[in-house]
Amino acid sequence: MSILELLQKRIVFFDGGTGTLLQEKGLQAGELPELWNIEKKQALIEIHKNYFEAGSDIVLTNTFGANCIKLQGISYSIEQIITAAVENAKTAANQCCKNKKGYVALDIGPTGKLLQPLGDLTFEAAYEAFQQMAVAGEKAGADVVVIETMSDIYETKAAVLAAKENTNLPVFVTVVFDEKGKLLTGSDIACVVSILEGLGVDAIGMNCGLGPHQMLSLSEQMLCHSSIPVIVKPNAGLPRSENGKTVFDVTPEEFAQEMVKIVDKGACIVGGCCGTTPAHIKALYQYCKDKKPLPIIPKNKTLAASYTHTVEIGKTPVIVGERINPTGKSRFKQALREKDFDYILREGFSQQQKGAHILDVNVGLPDIDEIDMLVSVIKQLQSVIDLPLQIDTSDTVAMEKALRIYNGKAVINSVNGKKESMEAVFPLVKKYGGVVIGLTLDENGIPTTAEGRFKIAQKIVKTAESYGISSKDIIIDVLAMTISSDQYSALETLKALNMVKQKLNIKTVLGVSNISFGLPQREIITANFYTMALQNGLDAGIINTNSDVIMQSYYAYKALAGLDDNCMDYINQYSGQAPAIKTATNTSSNDISLATAIEKGLKERAKQAAEQKLENTEPLTIINEELIPALDHIGKGFEKGTVFLPQLLMSAEAAKFAFEAIKVHMNKNGVVQNKKDKIILATVKGDIHDIGKNIVKVLLENYSYDVLDLGKDVPPEKIVETAISQNIKLVGLSALMTTTVTNMEETIKQLRQKKPDCKIVVGGAVLTQEYADMIGADHYAKDAMATVYYAQKILS
Amino acid sequence: MELKDISQKEVFRYLGYQNNVADKTTQNIAIECTTELLNCCRMNYTYKTFCCAVENGKVIIDNRIIIESKNLSKNLAECNELILFAATLGTQADILIQKYTHLDMSKAVIMQAAAAAIIEQYCDQCQNNIETELQKQTLFLRPRFSPGYGDFDLKHQKDIIALLDCNRKIGLTLTDSLLLAPCKSVTAVMGISNQNRHCNIKGCEVCTKTNCTFRRG
Repeated sequence: MSILELLQKRIVFFDGGTGTLLQEKGLQAGELPELWNIEKKQALIEIHKNYFEAGSDIVLTNTFGANCIKLQGISYSIEQIITAAVENAKTAANQCCKNKKGYVALDIGPTGKLLQPLGDLTFEAAYEAFQQMAVAGEKAGADVVVIETMSDIYETKAAVLAAKENTNLPVFVTVVFDEKGKLLTGSDIACVVSILEGLGVDAIGMNCGLGPHQMLSLSEQMLCHSSIPVIVKPNAGLPRSENGKTVFDVTPEEFAQEMVKIVDKGACIVGGCCGTTPAHIKALYQYCKDKKPLPIIPKNKTLAASYTHTVEIGKTPVIVGERINPTGKSRFKQALREKDFDYILREGFSQQQKGAHILDVNVGLPDIDEIDMLVSVIKQLQSVIDLPLQIDTSDTVAMEKALRIYNGKAVINSVNGKKESMEAVFPLVKKYGGVVIGLTLDENGIPTTAEGRFKIAQKIVKTAESYGISSKDIIIDVLAMTISSDQYSALETLKALNMVKQKLNIKTVLGVSNISFGLPQREIITANFYTMALQNGLDAGIINTNSDVIMQSYYAYKALAGLDDNCMDYINQYSGQAPAIKTATNTSSNDISLATAIEKGLKERAKQAAEQKLENTEPLTIINEELIPALDHIGKGFEKGTVFLPQLLMSAEAAKFAFEAIKVHMNKNGVVQNKKDKIILATVKGDIHDIGKNIVKVLLENYSYDVLDLGKDVPPEKIVETAISQNIKLVGLSALMTTTVTNMEETIKQLRQKKPDCKIVVGGAVLTQEYADMIGADHYAKDAMATVYYAQKILS
Repeated sequence: MELKDISQKEVFRYLGYQNNVADKTTQNIAIECTTELLNCCRMNYTYKTFCCAVENGKVIIDNRIIIESKNLSKNLAECNELILFAATLGTQADILIQKYTHLDMSKAVIMQAAAAAIIEQYCDQCQNNIETELQKQTLFLRPRFSPGYGDFDLKHQKDIIALLDCNRKIGLTLTDSLLLAPCKSVTAVMGISNQNRHCNIKGCEVCTKTNCTFRRG
């Protein structure tokens, strides 16, 4: 009987802690327990046997850290260690499981490193390490893969993909929550469940960190969300330090009594973690062996998730921000072509501030590599914004790449009723998880009638089902078409929306803004249509959060529809706010000049002053006669020690706002902006501290240099390659630690060989003039302004 | 920890203000940043006691780990036991600093300085707790000493992280080039002594680089 079949019949028992038992047998702190699989085989066979005898159905192999990232410089291969570990567990099973099958679980723990961008481990390298383990485990005869003690959902995703793509074994996952029910990296319970269910794991749960008492309420929460079996493996209480040693206080009896409550709530796979012993498992087994597992009821919530939290579609109206999209936006197109990620991120932040719950991400342009761009933008967005993302592309290769590296459960925009589309998209939804938007169009185009669109919606839902995709993970877009070409189109859309919602019982989404295409004052039509759509059952509106009128519709609808408790959201949003009266110039700071605004670091005023100036002054004149002198003045003050870093940067930010206004103006008038020379900036390989480099970037950009920011942890080869391909005259390198200055030296060496005409300026906490000379740099910049001065000297 | 626990003077010291007073706007932003960090960060620490032998510029921990460092052996003189300690503000601090790097660089540098002040203060607080425990046994703590200080080689980060099982306990990891990740983290050695030497001097005060922009005092 397979482990999954056994699960249908009765409560399944895991083993307990191994670490404590190994320590009793002589394992030292810091020693690698995995080596014992080969060197002290018998000790492990004993431990596994003790657990089988106590009542465990499954024991974990002693392979928690047996990955190539943790185990370096040892005399065995990963395969040897894993094969030995599985054999030990199987030997124990054969020796003591006479009447029942003893299952062997390949134990996979975390790599011990943080993934990029917070650490230096790539998602792909983590995947490969887990892949090696999973393949070796299956080959050696493991019955199931257990990925456990994970505290980062992103690393967990790499492990799950590795196990599922490379083996045919069932995959169980347990993570470590704190008492508030969060992972170290911030994910809450619903988020963990929705991401892992989306990835198709067979059972899900929690281990380590807490005792059974604390896990009771957390397991209840998990059971509330989970539609698959739940695993609970607590420690024997909270760890306590006694004479410098970690001890656990919960006795086997107490442990079992608490665990009964957890099983009664619905957990069907139980065991122990740190501090639990065969005695704990024996007591647990005695108390629970005759209990019948509760039936697992599918939870029909439509959930999208970022790496921290979920957004439920179908409860209160959800706002999907539509602004990360180049359609009809020349400034956004420019940002895409220039790889100006800061601009794109700011679009993301501003929508979050304005109330978006999910961000649509569309970066398709005919003249850019959409696959590469979509992956880059998603990586950037998910590193700093905790909203779920809606991956918006018609390129299924880009879609798959994006879904693979996305740290969450995405909304997928979109599939449609065409056979070809469904065949391409549904397998991706099934594999990576996600909430997919189904557009009601097919080979014959968009039906004009609501009935026609309803039929396509039905077809989409039915076909998805055949791929094993639940209807909760589909949201239907019945398509809003502009009323400027067909005055009845809005009514037909609303009718279709209502039908999908009522008759098909499926959640709905609409690109609301399309309705007003081609009409003047579009917002008026859009906002009113939005209210009508909400009234007809729209669950998620893809809207422009920057439009006050549209946001007013949202808050008003929620208040009127009884979805805003005591109208609190509405009141918070609009109380104390006089209706805005639009006048051309209504600011009190109107008299502050551009130069003063920059020196004082007043961003909004700097932008406004620049806009006013642009009415009658050439952009270049503004830059050369106001902006640059103001920046020079502040820079001089910084040098003298009368202006400090925060002020210098506030001025830089204000200047940036003024430049942005100028950029928009030039774009509008079709003027191509001539940037000064290109400069490469990079934090060298091995270094993940990039704040210094980023300060320099802001200042260099103020002085109109075209900065190619290669980021942090950049290999020398990439810097050299870029310097050659872009014919760079100046490279700025930053390093924080003595350990990474060696990589700076290596980068300089390679640049000297392959791009000898290029100057190199270095900076960073550990650097000094002496150090810079020693590693062969052209210049040592003690601070950000020093780099600007050097650039001016070299590139003038 | 609360806002009142974090010395704003320290925040501005990290920003290079030395003895100058920041303007009101910047002061307010610093308070905002400190508050946001305190609200978002999930701080954590762990420690463990080990036996040690100190001889001729060499420290041997748990009869296994040998650290060649004159500075550390001076710091641990006459100690038979020591504590290995690690603390972190978690990934949230890094994410916040990164976020403001894209949004507003001036806020990013203030956030970074506030995070530095918070982690130091947090370590002090943890150290005080440990000290209180030890005093019950009339034992005293020497000032904390971290890899990278003086001749205490950074490579010993590896030993501390492994001996304390930092990844599992508090989510603290090490990169290939021995940087701590999350960035706002500290590892340290603290000697346990049966003599109260009142040697509370640490950080800037033990450093011989007296012309540093960021020096305290």
